[in-house]
Amino acid sequence: MKMKIKISRCDPMGKGGCEPYLQGYDIEAKEGMTILDALHFIKDEQDGTLSFRRSCRSAICGSCAVNLNGFPKLACKTQLISEYKKKGAIVIEPLSNYQVIKDMVVDFNPFWDKINKVEPWLNQKDNLPVPLGTDLKSVPKKGGAVGLSGEKKWQTLDKKAVLKINNSSKCIMCGCCNAACNTLEIDKHFIAPAALAKAWRFVGDERESQSQKRLAKLSREHGMWDCVRCIHCTEYCPKDVAPLQAIERLRAEAIKEGVIDNDGARHVESMVDSVKRVGRLDEAAMTFKTLGFLRSLGMIPFGLKMEIHGKMPMPLIFPQIEKIEEVRKIYEEIEKKKRQVEVKVEE
Amino acid sequence: MNEPLKYAYYPGCASQAITKEANSTTRKIAQVLGIELYDMPKANCCGAGLLTDYDYDLSIALNARIFAQAEEMGMDIMTICSTCLMVMSTANRDLKNNPHLFKKTNEILTGAGIRYNGTVEIKQLLWVLAEDYGLDKLKNKVKKPLKNLRVAPFYGCHSLRPSDALGFDDPERPWSLEAVIEALGAEVTEYNGKTKCCGFQVDLVAEGAAVEMTGKRLLDAKGEGGRCMVTPCPFCHINLDNYQGMAERKLSQKIDMPVFHLSQLVGLALGMTAEELELSRHLVSTKHVLAETKVII
Repeated sequence: MKMKIKISRCDPMGKGGCEPYLQGYDIEAKEGMTILDALHFIKDEQDGTLSFRRSCRSAICGSCAVNLNGFPKLACKTQLISEYKKKGAIVIEPLSNYQVIKDMVVDFNPFWDKINKVEPWLNQKDNLPVPLGTDLKSVPKKGGAVGLSGEKKWQTLDKKAVLKINNSSKCIMCGCCNAACNTLEIDKHFIAPAALAKAWRFVGDERESQSQKRLAKLSREHGMWDCVRCIHCTEYCPKDVAPLQAIERLRAEAIKEGVIDNDGARHVESMVDSVKRVGRLDEAAMTFKTLGFLRSLGMIPFGLKMEIHGKMPMPLIFPQIEKIEEVRKIYEEIEKKKRQVEVKVEE
Repeated sequence: MNEPLKYAYYPGCASQAITKEANSTTRKIAQVLGIELYDMPKANCCGAGLLTDYDYDLSIALNARIFAQAEEMGMDIMTICSTCLMVMSTANRDLKNNPHLFKKTNEILTGAGIRYNGTVEIKQLLWVLAEDYGLDKLKNKVKKPLKNLRVAPFYGCHSLRPSDALGFDDPERPWSLEAVIEALGAEVTEYNGKTKCCGFQVDLVAEGAAVEMTGKRLLDAKGEGGRCMVTPCPFCHINLDNYQGMAERKLSQKIDMPVFHLSQLVGLALGMTAEELELSRHLVSTKHVLAETKVII
């Protein structure tokens, strides 16, 4: 099957500086060919100046992510002909939200900086059977990982505890999620989904001792509460890491751990209250609870404009749903279950 | 004669307060089209994702309570809010795919005297028009084709993603909103950003970023020649319309992009008046664009 592939070219060393333009290549697509195969074919047979990152060709090294017809994909994991049939075109560009170095090669330094910011390592609790720095000879052999010479090295997790963080630990750092992230598009300082998924890998690890400190750091400006829940990260992750799920779990954990002195957590808590109280979202109360009294005053000019158009939510008369007692009962049942779990842990 | 379409109608919280006009105009067009909407007076809030940020199990149980009501009514749910659509569809997917969660949730519901059997589907007005009702039938109902009106479709995030939970349109090449716009006789404006985020979720948490995001989407649409916008989501409407003034100030340029709820655009083509469609509730006036294109003089 003959087709034209358009590839974004940009060479900062060339004459024109780095203003990207699309260059067309005619190729004969064969059944089973991936986007990466096509890039290789073009580089080998037609244009040796084309630059792109690649290594394993097996969707595990995370090097070959590109924007394909506008969406981030691993070039090695995407079939050429089916993509062409689906979209009617093949346009390959560098990942969005990154600076281009040449052609498809982008600067990954900001990506690694964000990963480093979440301190991607485990700080094991002291009270576990094998804390760091223990004299390994003194540790009994039951449970935990065992080193080559038979000494005990590290406390392992049971299956349930692994499942909690399993998605996050599948990340191959290809950067697709950050390329798709709508918040990062607006705010380049945003910590972004890849690092947040990595953060959950450690916050959600039952051996971790610094969770609360981590959550406090993540709750600052440009942190986890700035995510707009656009779901692009989860949609375009090629390894089902589901970064948004990690973000939701981080947020829930922060509230559970009492890291709540910020607008994001207050926003959530006001929703939880509102649904319990009237069964619905009470917009006026929510604004007030999230922003507090003084900053809510700042909303008055906007509120007046809304009032003129009949859009001001009524703060005082808020009708509750029928059978609100059922909703409250569900809250009670959830609390009861939580207490049971806590008792079990203590036992 | 086919049976009329019947849905358990879930307008969502926003459209019972701040965007009431989306709710009332949906009821009006449904009546003209012959789609029967049945109220759910017991229905609680879906949580808009915020309950998931607090306690996943609570969020699932409260959503299952909504589904159980529709199940009792023997109908699927139709919502006019994309965020409700996303939250409910995600909860329904998890309940149907995870037997352990299904059992646990029903144990919680039993305490409140409720049971959900997993038989309900969640739909959005957009899907009902594009598929259940059908574009041909919709075309036949058009009294006043919206000729010369260049409409920029704005899906936002939650009517398209996560696609494995929604299972309707293609988030990379969506068609439903464009198809409805064309069925109404209007022209579709293609632009970058129609499937991106309006910023609503962080309005109260990171207002600067939210406003900038809103402005960017509006300017993209304007840059491609869109004269107005339509969205199937009331939260997107809040940002695109109510926050447009703030976006103009932040980006220091005039935008002037009227934004319609999907139901209002349909209503215009069905020949309804500005009063019937409650267009005065918008902060960005729709008068000029409707006069220019002789939709409403």
